[in-house]
Amino acid sequence: MSPAPLSLRAGAEAEAARLPALLARAEQLAGAVLPGAHGRRRAGTGDDFWQYRPAQIGDSRRSIDHRRSARGDQEFVREREWQIAQSVMLWVDQGASMRFASHKALPEKADRARLLGLALAILLLRGGERVGLTGTALPPRRGRPQITRLAELLSAPDSRDYAPPDHRGMLPHARAVFVSDFMGDLAPVQEALTKAADRGVRGLLYHVLDPAEEAFPFAGRTIFESVGGTLRHETLKANELRERYLERLAERKDALAQLCARTGWRYGLHHTDASAQSALLWLHGALDARQERAA
Amino acid sequence: MSVLGGIGFTAPWLLLALLALPILWLILRAVPPAPIRRRFPGVALLLGLTDDESASDRTPWWLLLLRMLAVAALIVGLAGPVLNPQAAPEQGDGPLLIVLDGSWAGANEWDRQIAAIEAQLTRAGRAERTVGVLSLSSPEVPNFQSAEAWRARLAGLSPEPWQPTAETLARAEEIIADLPDFDAIWFSDGLDFPGREDLLNQLRARGAVEVHRGQGTPFGIAPATFRDGVIELTLRRAEAGPERVAGIEAQGRDPAGNARTLARATATFAAGETEATTSLSLPAELRGRLTSFDIAGVRSAGARTLADDGLRRREVALIRGRGEEEGLQLLAPLHYIEQALAPSAELIEGSLSDVLPANPDVIVLADIATLAPAEAEPLQTWIEDGGLLIRFAGPQVAASDVSRGDEDPLMPVRLRAGGRSVGGAMSWGEPKSLAPFRNGSPFFGLPVPEDVTVSAQVMAQPDPTLAERVIASLSDGTPLVTRKTVEQGQIVLFHVTATAEWSTLPLSGLFVQMMERLAVSSGASGTEPGNLDGTTWTPLRVMDGFGTLSEAGTLPGVAGPRLVSDATGPDLPPGLYGTEDRRLARNVLTEDSRLTPARWPADVPVRGLEMPAERPLAGLLLSMALVLLVADVLATLALSGLLLRRAGGTLALFLAFGLAPQAGEAQEDDAESFAVRAASEVTLAHVLTGNEEVDEVARAGLRGLSDTLYFRTSVEPALPTGVDIERDALAFFPILYWPVTPDQPQPSDAAYGKLNDYLRSGGLILFDTRDADIAGFGAASPNGRKLQELAAPLDIPPLEPLPGDHVLTRTFYLLQDFPGRYTGRDIWVEAAPPDAERIEGMPFRNLNDGVTPVVIGGNDWAAAWAVRRDGAPLVPIGRGFAGERQRELAYRFGVNLVMHVLTGNYKSDQVHVPALLDRLGQ
Repeated sequence: MSPAPLSLRAGAEAEAARLPALLARAEQLAGAVLPGAHGRRRAGTGDDFWQYRPAQIGDSRRSIDHRRSARGDQEFVREREWQIAQSVMLWVDQGASMRFASHKALPEKADRARLLGLALAILLLRGGERVGLTGTALPPRRGRPQITRLAELLSAPDSRDYAPPDHRGMLPHARAVFVSDFMGDLAPVQEALTKAADRGVRGLLYHVLDPAEEAFPFAGRTIFESVGGTLRHETLKANELRERYLERLAERKDALAQLCARTGWRYGLHHTDASAQSALLWLHGALDARQERAA
Repeated sequence: MSVLGGIGFTAPWLLLALLALPILWLILRAVPPAPIRRRFPGVALLLGLTDDESASDRTPWWLLLLRMLAVAALIVGLAGPVLNPQAAPEQGDGPLLIVLDGSWAGANEWDRQIAAIEAQLTRAGRAERTVGVLSLSSPEVPNFQSAEAWRARLAGLSPEPWQPTAETLARAEEIIADLPDFDAIWFSDGLDFPGREDLLNQLRARGAVEVHRGQGTPFGIAPATFRDGVIELTLRRAEAGPERVAGIEAQGRDPAGNARTLARATATFAAGETEATTSLSLPAELRGRLTSFDIAGVRSAGARTLADDGLRRREVALIRGRGEEEGLQLLAPLHYIEQALAPSAELIEGSLSDVLPANPDVIVLADIATLAPAEAEPLQTWIEDGGLLIRFAGPQVAASDVSRGDEDPLMPVRLRAGGRSVGGAMSWGEPKSLAPFRNGSPFFGLPVPEDVTVSAQVMAQPDPTLAERVIASLSDGTPLVTRKTVEQGQIVLFHVTATAEWSTLPLSGLFVQMMERLAVSSGASGTEPGNLDGTTWTPLRVMDGFGTLSEAGTLPGVAGPRLVSDATGPDLPPGLYGTEDRRLARNVLTEDSRLTPARWPADVPVRGLEMPAERPLAGLLLSMALVLLVADVLATLALSGLLLRRAGGTLALFLAFGLAPQAGEAQEDDAESFAVRAASEVTLAHVLTGNEEVDEVARAGLRGLSDTLYFRTSVEPALPTGVDIERDALAFFPILYWPVTPDQPQPSDAAYGKLNDYLRSGGLILFDTRDADIAGFGAASPNGRKLQELAAPLDIPPLEPLPGDHVLTRTFYLLQDFPGRYTGRDIWVEAAPPDAERIEGMPFRNLNDGVTPVVIGGNDWAAAWAVRRDGAPLVPIGRGFAGERQRELAYRFGVNLVMHVLTGNYKSDQVHVPALLDRLGQ
C-alpha cells in the first residue's frame, strides 16, 4: 500500500527534522555544564595513576615502573585506577500528560524532560559513561552514536495518558534517572524503584511540573480533562478545589520523597518556568555525588 | 385595540405568550451555566473531589426573576401597550375631515389646538381612516391622505389674522360639496361668524360632526383713540364672565430706534361685562414713537392694535409776518389756520429762528415774502431733512420780487408780478370757483363745495415744470395750490391768503380737509370713509394670526374707503398701511366691532382641546427588557466569577451602559496637554486639511524638516503636530504649514479670528498650493481657487514675489531658489515698504522689520522634506543627484524659513554686512 510508506517517510522526515534541534539544544546545554564540574579527562580510559606499591612476587616485569624504581633500590609497580565505565539508564516519561504547557511561553513538560534527559546523557557520554534507556529498547553503550539513538527514542511519544516507568533490563549496580511528572498511579513507580533497589540500582527521581499544576489558577464551572482525554472531572467551583488539590499534590511529592529515601534514590523537583541549566546542573551534580559515594 | 386598566394594546394576542413564562422558569432553572473545558494533567489528583455546595448548579432565584422580568417586559412591549388610549366608541371608519376656524381668535391656544389635532390624527391613523384638513379662513382642497402624511404637515398650519369671511366660506362650501361623505371634527376658535350655522348644517348633512374648542374666551383690543389728551384703550371679550384683569403694553421705539415697552396699563373686565376700558396719558414725544398696544401674555392678532397717525399730533409752527400790527383778530393772517389746526395739532408760535431748533413737522408762513439769509439757510436745511413748508400768498408776496425772475428756493414756482383779481369791484368777471381735483393730487377725491370762490391770487409763471407742481387749480385752470419737493421735504404754496380776504377757502370745511391731506393735521376725522375717497393705501407691514408684523412685500394697495369699512380678509390683511406721508393702521378689531361667542346646537357634541395624551409604552418596556438583560449578563458573569477576570466582562459593561469616558473632560485634558506639549518645545505645525494623504505627507515633511533643523542648527524642535484650526490654540506654534487642497472645509469665523490673531502676533503661515504654481496664483487651478477662498478673510498685507535681497535668502543658508518637490518660479511674501531703498555700497536694501506673516508658494515643500520613520525620504524628488540636490535645497529653504520666523530680521541687520560681503566674495 502506498500511503503507509509515504506517511512513514513523512513522519520520519518530521522526526529527523526535530532531532537535530533537540540534539543541538541538548549539546548546547551540556557544553555549558561540562567545564569544571566533572573533573574527568577524556583521553584514555582506565590509565589514570592510582598509586605506587612495592613490587611483589607475581608482578609482571613489564609492570615495574622504572622511573620510580630508579630513585632507590626497591622496585615499584605503578598501579592504575581501574575504571569501569558506569552504566546510567534513563527513563523519560513520554506519556500524554507530559505534553502540557499552561502558557504558550512555557515549554511542554515533555519537551523540558526530553531536553534535560538528553543533555544529561551527552554529559555522561562525554564523561565516558555508558548511557542507555530502561527497558530493552536501548541498552547502555558509550560513544557519540549513542546520542543520536537516544535522541531518536526520546522523541517517540507515548499515547498513554500516564506512562508507567519501565523497569525492565536494569543492570545491577547501575545508575538510573527517572524524569516524569508522576501524575499517574504511584504503584508502578514504587514497584520500579523497589525492584531497582533490589538490584542495587540507585538514581534520581526527577519531578517535572508545570507552574499551573502548582498554582491551580482556575475558577468557575470547569470540566478538567486529561491531555489524552481518558480522564475527566467536572466541578462547579474550581476555585474551591484548589486547597484540596494542592494538599494532594503535596502528599504526592511527599510520598515520592519518602520512596526515594527508602530506596536510596534522590528526589528532585523542577518547574518548567525555571531554567533548564540549573536543572541540568542539579541532575549532573546529584548523579555525580552518587557515583562518588558508590565508588 | 383592547383596553386593560387604562392601558390599551395594539396586539393583545401577544400577551398570551406570558403563559409560557412558568415553563421558561422551569427550563431556566434546570440549566446551570455552561462549563469551560480545560486540559489539565493534574486531573488525576482531582478525581474524587466533590463540590461543597451541591445546590449551586441551580440558577439563583433572583437571577431567574430578573430573566423572567426581562422576558415579560419584552412580551408586553411587543404587544404594543398604549397609556390613555383614546377610547372612541363612535369612531367611524370613513374619511375624516378636520375643519378649523383658523382665525386669530384661536392663535393664543394654537399649540394646544395643534396637539389636539395630532391626537385626532393618531386616533384616525390607528383606525386607518383617511384624513383631510380644511381651514375656513384660508380654504384649500383637502386631499384625503393618511394621518401620518398629515401629521408631517401640521407644523405648516397657522392661524390667519382674520375670521372666515363670506368669500372664504363660500369657497369652503364649494370644496365640501365636492368631497365624498365624511365625518367632521370642527376645531372652533370660540367666535361666531356669519355663515357658521349654514356650514354646520352642511357638514351635518354629510356625516357626524364633533366640535372641539378651547376653554378660554377670545378677547381682543380695539384701536386706541386719542381724546382730550389721553389715549383711550378698549378691550372686548366674547363672553361675559367673572372679573378679569388684563395688562396692556404700549410698544414703541426708544430714541435709539430699538423696540421696547414704553408704558403699561391694566384694564379690568368687571364681572358680567364684555368691555373694559382704560386710559393712558403719555407725553407727545412718547406718543409719537408708539407702534402698537398689546394685551400682555396673549399671542394673537386680535390682542394687538397698531398705532397710526391718529395718535400722533404734528407740531406746526406758525410764523407771523414781521411788523405785524395790532389788528382785528379775524383779520390776523393766521387766525383761520389756527382754528383749522388747533384740534388736531400742536401749535408753536414764535420767530423762525426760535422755532427751527424745535424741529417742528410743519412751518406755516403766511404772506411773508423774503427771509433773511440767516433764516433762509437753516429753513432750507430743515426742508431738505423732511420738513413741510406751507406758504400763503398775500399782498406782501404779490408786491415783492420774490421768485420773480428765478425760482426762489423756498417757492415752488415762479410768480408773475402783481397777481390778479377777478370779480372784484374794479375788475371783470365772476370770482372763480375751484376745479375738481385731478387724479394724482393729494386732494383727489375731496368734494369741491360750490361756495368756495377765489377773487384774488398770485399767478404762477408758466414753466415747463409748472404742470406737475399744480395740485389744485381754479376752474379756469390757473394754479391755486402748487407744490414742489425738495430732497425729503416739500414746499406748498397756496396762491391765496390764509385769511378770507382773497378767497372763501379758509372759511370752508375743505380747507381743513386739505390740511389733513397735506398731513399738516391728523385726527379721528381722517378715518371717515368720505375723507379717504380717491386714496390708495399701500400695505407697509402686515400682521399674521399671532400678531407678528412682517414686511408686506408686494401685496396690492387698498382703496381708502375699503380700508376702513370692509372686514379684514385675505385681500385686506390687518396691518399698517400708508400713502406717501400718512400712516393708517387697520386692526383686527375696529372701533365698533363686537365679539360674539359661537353657540352650538345641543345635539352637536362639544369637547375641549384637553385630552390626556396617548403614550405608547412599547419603547419604554423594550428598553427596560434590554436593561434587564444587560443586568442579567453582568449578574451571570459575577456569579461565575468572570466579571473582573475577563476583559470581555468589562467591555460588555461599557457597551451596555454606553459609559464612554466623559468626552468633555477628556477634551479639556487634551487641550491642556496639547498646550503643554506644544509650548514646552519649539514645535512645527501643519494645518489638518481632512485629506488623510496630504496630512500624512505634511506631517512626515515637518518631521524631516525638524530632523534637519535638529542636526544642523541650534533649533531643536519637538515632533511636529497637526493642528485643527477650529479647535486647537495656535499661539504656541512659530510656523503653520498649510497645504491647500480643493476640498478642505472653509474655516469658521471663530477660526479666522484665531488665525488673524495669530498673524498679527507674529505667526507665519506657509501656504502651499502643491500644484507647482502652474496657475500663478490665479483661479485657474482648483488649489489656487481654494487658496483665494481660504485667504480672503485673512488679514494679509500686500504681497510681492520674494525679492532677491529678502532676508529669507540669507537667514541661515544663502539661497536664491526655493524648490520643493517642484521648482516653481516665485514665492510670495509681504511686500517691502515703498520707501525701502538700496544704500550705496550695500548689497541689499534695509527692508521691513518683523516677519512676513505669510509665505505663499506651490512647490509642495512637505513632499520634499518628508521622511519615513526610519529617516529615508518618503517621496522621490527629481532624478539622481540633481534630485538629491533639489531636496537639499528644499531643506535649506525650510531651515531658512524657520530661522526667519525665529530670528526675524536679525540677518537683515547691517552689522552683519561685512561678514556677509566676505562670504559672498564681494
